[in-house]
Amino acid sequence: MILLPPPSPLLRHYNSLMQLETLLRRIAETPPEFFEAPFVGRSGMVHVGAVVHDTLIELGGPEPAIEQLRDFAPAKADEQERRRLRLALLTCWLLGERGFRSRDLGARALAFLTGSELRELAGLVDAPKLVADPDRREELTRLTLRALGLRPAGETAAQAQDRLATVSSVEAARLFRESQAAEQRAREVREAMARKAAQEAADKAYRE
Amino acid sequence: MTDSDAEHFPLLTDAGRAMLKRLREHPHAPRYTMECGNRVTADDLRRLQAFEHFLRETPPDWPEGALPTWLDAYLEHAYAQVPAYRRRGPRPTRFEDIATIDRGDLSRAPWDYVPDDVALDGLIVHKTTGTTGQILRVPTHPVVSSGSFPLLKVVLERFGVTLTAGAGQVGVVLVGWQRKAFTYPSVTPQWGDAGHLKLNLHPDDWRDPADRARFLDDLYPEVYTGDPVAFEVLLDLGLKTRPKALISTATTLLPGLRTRLEAAFGCPVVDLYSLNECNAVAVARAGAFELIQPRLYVEILDPHGEPLPDGERGEVVLTGGFNFMWPLVRYRTNDYARRIWRDGRPVLVDLEGRAPVLFRTPAGELRSGLDVTFALKHMPLAQFTLHQASDGVLTLRYSGAMARPDQLRAALLEVFGPDQALELVETDLFAAPGEKMKQYIAD
Repeated sequence: MILLPPPSPLLRHYNSLMQLETLLRRIAETPPEFFEAPFVGRSGMVHVGAVVHDTLIELGGPEPAIEQLRDFAPAKADEQERRRLRLALLTCWLLGERGFRSRDLGARALAFLTGSELRELAGLVDAPKLVADPDRREELTRLTLRALGLRPAGETAAQAQDRLATVSSVEAARLFRESQAAEQRAREVREAMARKAAQEAADKAYRE
Repeated sequence: MTDSDAEHFPLLTDAGRAMLKRLREHPHAPRYTMECGNRVTADDLRRLQAFEHFLRETPPDWPEGALPTWLDAYLEHAYAQVPAYRRRGPRPTRFEDIATIDRGDLSRAPWDYVPDDVALDGLIVHKTTGTTGQILRVPTHPVVSSGSFPLLKVVLERFGVTLTAGAGQVGVVLVGWQRKAFTYPSVTPQWGDAGHLKLNLHPDDWRDPADRARFLDDLYPEVYTGDPVAFEVLLDLGLKTRPKALISTATTLLPGLRTRLEAAFGCPVVDLYSLNECNAVAVARAGAFELIQPRLYVEILDPHGEPLPDGERGEVVLTGGFNFMWPLVRYRTNDYARRIWRDGRPVLVDLEGRAPVLFRTPAGELRSGLDVTFALKHMPLAQFTLHQASDGVLTLRYSGAMARPDQLRAALLEVFGPDQALELVETDLFAAPGEKMKQYIAD
């Protein structure tokens, strides 16, 4: 058996980073077929489920089950749902970037493609408009990177989070909901801490 | 039992009650300055017993070149239940891509790091400035505070010391040396309500300075814990009794003092690296700091937050710990060391950041950093440092929008005397990136 040394920090570092500019350019250069009408029922031009399937395989799998792809082949769809399918298609184009390939990112990518963030973004902007708008391109790119557990090269994790919160209305809405939901608990903890701070603490064996 | 005792000692036994009475009414006892107890309930006691078992059964290590196996579940919980981490969105794939936090983050909004799924009934708060000058309120729990006892017991076994204190005996005495300090008598329920004391060896706390030795010799504690400054004083008391061990924490124990203590007391003198944010992290043995906690991952980062290869010097960064009220994820300690592997286990060497500092008053008396900490404890400061130049002039650098210079000056002159030369500088800059911020410096 050959024992390989652990990956160097440099190599591991490289693996988690993606050039933001490369991804933004890729979205800007989306081929026309990715704007074709998704199949809904029996009409349409592109089988989004098939594209998603191939994309996930390219990312290193695992291969999705048919049930997991049903979301991308609805029998009926209103305009909002059609926008979601178009955006999923566009995201598949983004995920086709070479740097993403064969990195076991399939499960995370599927969660993103079927998740609430993409749905919300579709409610705000249609795929063609997103491609034409630099801020929205950056929003989709950053949301995708984070969903994959990656971040733009040259940014710390904190910087990437700050920038995402600035550029993304989906992220801003999530943070708002998060803070609303957390507000009552935060108040309870703050009050409990203020109450307890006025009392003495419990004893310890040694000073820290 | 008084109402206060019922609150402080929920499980107080007859032996414990007798011990408290002895410690409080001893003819040579000091003037205690506060009431404090273990607050340990029956359920807490079971958890403490389980914790001691866990400490014995689980080695504090992980395979070289890999992450600990418990880490993934720990992070999963932190990202799901802790508001400060959850707010970041999905967890990065790689551990190394998770953003670090520092004392400033914890200091600004400590409640944001309390998990949603912990009950607040048992919450207690430890307020501290530590050695970094940033006021910190640490949400914790009696099980966590009392967890220091089994931790101490298990650590001492590495030095061949077995603690056996039980009912009617005194276990641990924590000694300090400050002009003013919180002091109290207590008992340790997991040791049959053995006595436990926090004492100040400063003569002002005692009716007669000679009472210090009389009191301690009569109690005959099994272990003393304290900082090197207090141990210098302990050395001079001329005690007749000998503890099984001395545990030095808070600041660096220099080799000269260690040798003198070992010679005088004839027992191991153990240097513990411990933080308020995370309890005891490591213990010095055979030239390196060995890790103590089974669920604490220690890495070394460069100033940009990137992990350094083993053997390179950088900031000590912690993930884990047993304070379930405050799970830490990549906490930058502002302490610096190298991580190396010894006998297949990670250890820290060249640990820096806990140098003891003593200041001088114009009258030539000594004041410890803890005296300054105590004096400024109630000031609305975000952070501060105090520097004494070789000519004796003090410079207080501080941040805190609500802080009033006249109050700061008065508080420090209370410690150093009215003739002390003192300069106040309001600033936000305490250290260059990558450099350790030193709270107390004396040239």
